[in-house]
Amino acid sequence: MSKILFSPTLAVTALSAGLAFAQAPDQADEIIRGRYQAILGDCAACHTAPGAKPLSGGLPLETPFGQIIPPNITPDKASGIGNWTEADFRNALKNGIGHDGKRLYPAMPYPAYTKMTDRDIGNLWSYLRTVDPVFNPVESNQLPFPFNIRLSMMGWNMLNFTPGEFRPDPSKSPEWNRGAYIVQGPGHCGTCHSPKTVLGADKTSEALEGTSLQGWYAPNITGNSYIGVGSWSEEQIVQYLKTGTNGHTIASGPMAEAIQASTSLMTDEDVHAIATYLKSTQGGPAQKPQPIPASDARMKVGAAIYHDTCSACHGGDGKGANQLFPALAGSTIVQQPSAETLARLVLQGSQAVHTPQAKTTPAMPSLGWKLSDEQVAAVLTYVRNSWGNAAPSVGASDIGAQR
Amino acid sequence: METHCLKRPTRRQFLSSVAFTILAGSAAPVMARSISGSLPWEARSADPPVQVKPGGWLFFTLEEAQTMEAVADRLVPADELSLGGKDAGCVLYLDRQLVGSYGTSSRLYTKGPFMPGLATQGYQAPDTPAQRYRSGIAALNAFTRDAKGGKRFAELAPADQDAVLKDLEAGKITLPNKVDAKSFFNLMLANVMEGFFADPIYGGNKDMASWKMLGFPGARYDYRDHVSKHNQPYPLPPVSIAGSMEWMTR
Ligand code: HEC
Ligand code: HEC
Ligand code: HEC
Repeated sequence: MSKILFSPTLAVTALSAGLAFAQAPDQADEIIRGRYQAILGDCAACHTAPGAKPLSGGLPLETPFGQIIPPNITPDKASGIGNWTEADFRNALKNGIGHDGKRLYPAMPYPAYTKMTDRDIGNLWSYLRTVDPVFNPVESNQLPFPFNIRLSMMGWNMLNFTPGEFRPDPSKSPEWNRGAYIVQGPGHCGTCHSPKTVLGADKTSEALEGTSLQGWYAPNITGNSYIGVGSWSEEQIVQYLKTGTNGHTIASGPMAEAIQASTSLMTDEDVHAIATYLKSTQGGPAQKPQPIPASDARMKVGAAIYHDTCSACHGGDGKGANQLFPALAGSTIVQQPSAETLARLVLQGSQAVHTPQAKTTPAMPSLGWKLSDEQVAAVLTYVRNSWGNAAPSVGASDIGAQR
Repeated sequence: METHCLKRPTRRQFLSSVAFTILAGSAAPVMARSISGSLPWEARSADPPVQVKPGGWLFFTLEEAQTMEAVADRLVPADELSLGGKDAGCVLYLDRQLVGSYGTSSRLYTKGPFMPGLATQGYQAPDTPAQRYRSGIAALNAFTRDAKGGKRFAELAPADQDAVLKDLEAGKITLPNKVDAKSFFNLMLANVMEGFFADPIYGGNKDMASWKMLGFPGARYDYRDHVSKHNQPYPLPPVSIAGSMEWMTR
């Protein structure tokens, strides 16, 4: 996935192009609103390759079934969607059906975009017509047999997909409804944060409860106060989504990209609405388990490694150093059921998110060269069960895959 | 490059072509670039030292190694404070340094002019440390064979070894083949101390013996939790770049 894509020049072209063929005076507004929809939906995250022209086709996505490449969605007639109609576009976002009835794979998050309103999709379409057309043919379908047969998606959709616009809950506040709309619809947060069925569909019953993403673990972001955002104030959620850091944690990996290209560019009202909604949801283990006692052999080894290797940055008390080094004490990232992200950070290192408000981009060094799988497992078991944290122990076999 | 304009270069042409070659020469490896957004960063990037493992000599001959072990054991004698220089691995350390960039001076400027420098300027002669050990040890053993009844340095009694080392240090001995006794002594002393006090990852300072002796905490770099605890011993044991016994999982 790539970094930020909507450059000021692009916005200007969008505007002037829009005005050029606009009959109705509010066409420019429509395009500006559409551009905002593209930010909410983070279309560029998948459809723009790093360094490439906006929306001209992305990098291959790894799915559990194989690779699939997000196609060129610029208005180029030969290789993009230049000869699509607005109805074709609606059909793609709402029903997962492309031009000529081609069934789209849900690697394109239409199971979330289906919740978008007709107006939002219309605006998005107006905006997409103004993007620079780029000739770049992309063959999206790289899947192995039998998944390469698009018709198989018909069966998939019958089993896994309920098309239909978001229905507001009249018993909730407009703000809550706006938040729910963004999270479930254009923001497609569940694409990363919701556990999947064996067929790769979101488990709606466990929405936002956290799941693995090929080398990262997207955490539980429900209002669960043990491993979700329940213990964060609304303001802390807002600050995280706007800047990538909030004094507790610093975003990395796929979320850093989502923040840079999408949530940090959302309006303050929208980000507040998301926070209100997230805090109202519930899911995941309600009870914190008993921590593994400090006398445990793994904990002792882990403590020695921690104090010799990690404490210089994260502090002997695990409290970190504000915006520079995230706190591990009380960290929800640290206590997720899976230690996938943690193993990755220790073995490969990680660089923090870059946003206008968080420019320092501190980095965690790669320590894989000095710690064996057993030692990484021990130190992670230690941080997951110290300073009030409690989470299942980590085994050496959980580590090797991230080397 | 025989073109007619270059046949009689004017001064200006000459200067600007020099400037051009300098630019061309320096631009290629340096590649200045401006960075915006995040700092450059790569996953899995680390350039760690490799743990030196005992087993065989890579630079020294057996006789040279024995000579150096004897020297190391006199410069750092085993006593109630710590083990001796030989058992601490000082010669293993030195051996691996001498086959690396230190031995060949590959990171130093080693072209002339060669003139006797001031004491503060350090060693000024062309020989690399590897060459100095090769000729220095040979000269030392030639000297003792000559002056001490055919014995190599390692075969002398400890007291005799001390006497020879003291005379070397004081410059009272003239070594054969123009080896400067004082400067060779200083080289050995410096390197043995390095082996004794450097991180065990480089082959010496076995089991962090010298650090335990001094109470030096090792490869740590944060003492925020301890700066305000005056007159209390630092509680944590020393740690090497490669870890410590406490890290052992089995
Ligand atoms: C998580 C990655 C991802 C995101 C985010 C995403 N897409 Fe896609 N999109 C894909 C993939 C993969 C395909 C190809 C699906 C296929 O071929 O079956 C696709 C296909 C499409 C197509 C069909 C193109 C064609 O030629 O058939 C359209 C139109 C489209 N996306 C529009 C959008 C818009 C608009 C957004 C933002 C609101 C968006 N996408 C966001 C991954 C993504
Ligand atoms: C491309 C995948 C992806 C998408 C899309 C995504 N997230 Fe995330 N999110 C992650 C990952 C991975 C993390 C963990 C980040 C880390 O380890 O630093 C995360 C972390 C978070 C956190 C911090 C949780 C914690 O305990 O520290 C919040 C809050 C969050 N995401 C909210 C959202 C919201 C709201 C959306 C939709 C607007 C969203 N995410 C969309 C992958 C994603
Ligand atoms: C040189 C400083 C440094 C050292 C040493 C270090 N870290 Fe980090 N760590 C960081 C920084 C900076 C981040 C934020 C990186 C990011 O957001 O991508 C981080 C992030 C983390 C996180 C994720 C926290 C979150 O909220 O996202 C965990 C867990 C972690 N480190 C554990 C460890 C462990 C365990 C060790 C020792 C084995 C260690 N760190 C050593 C600097 C360090």
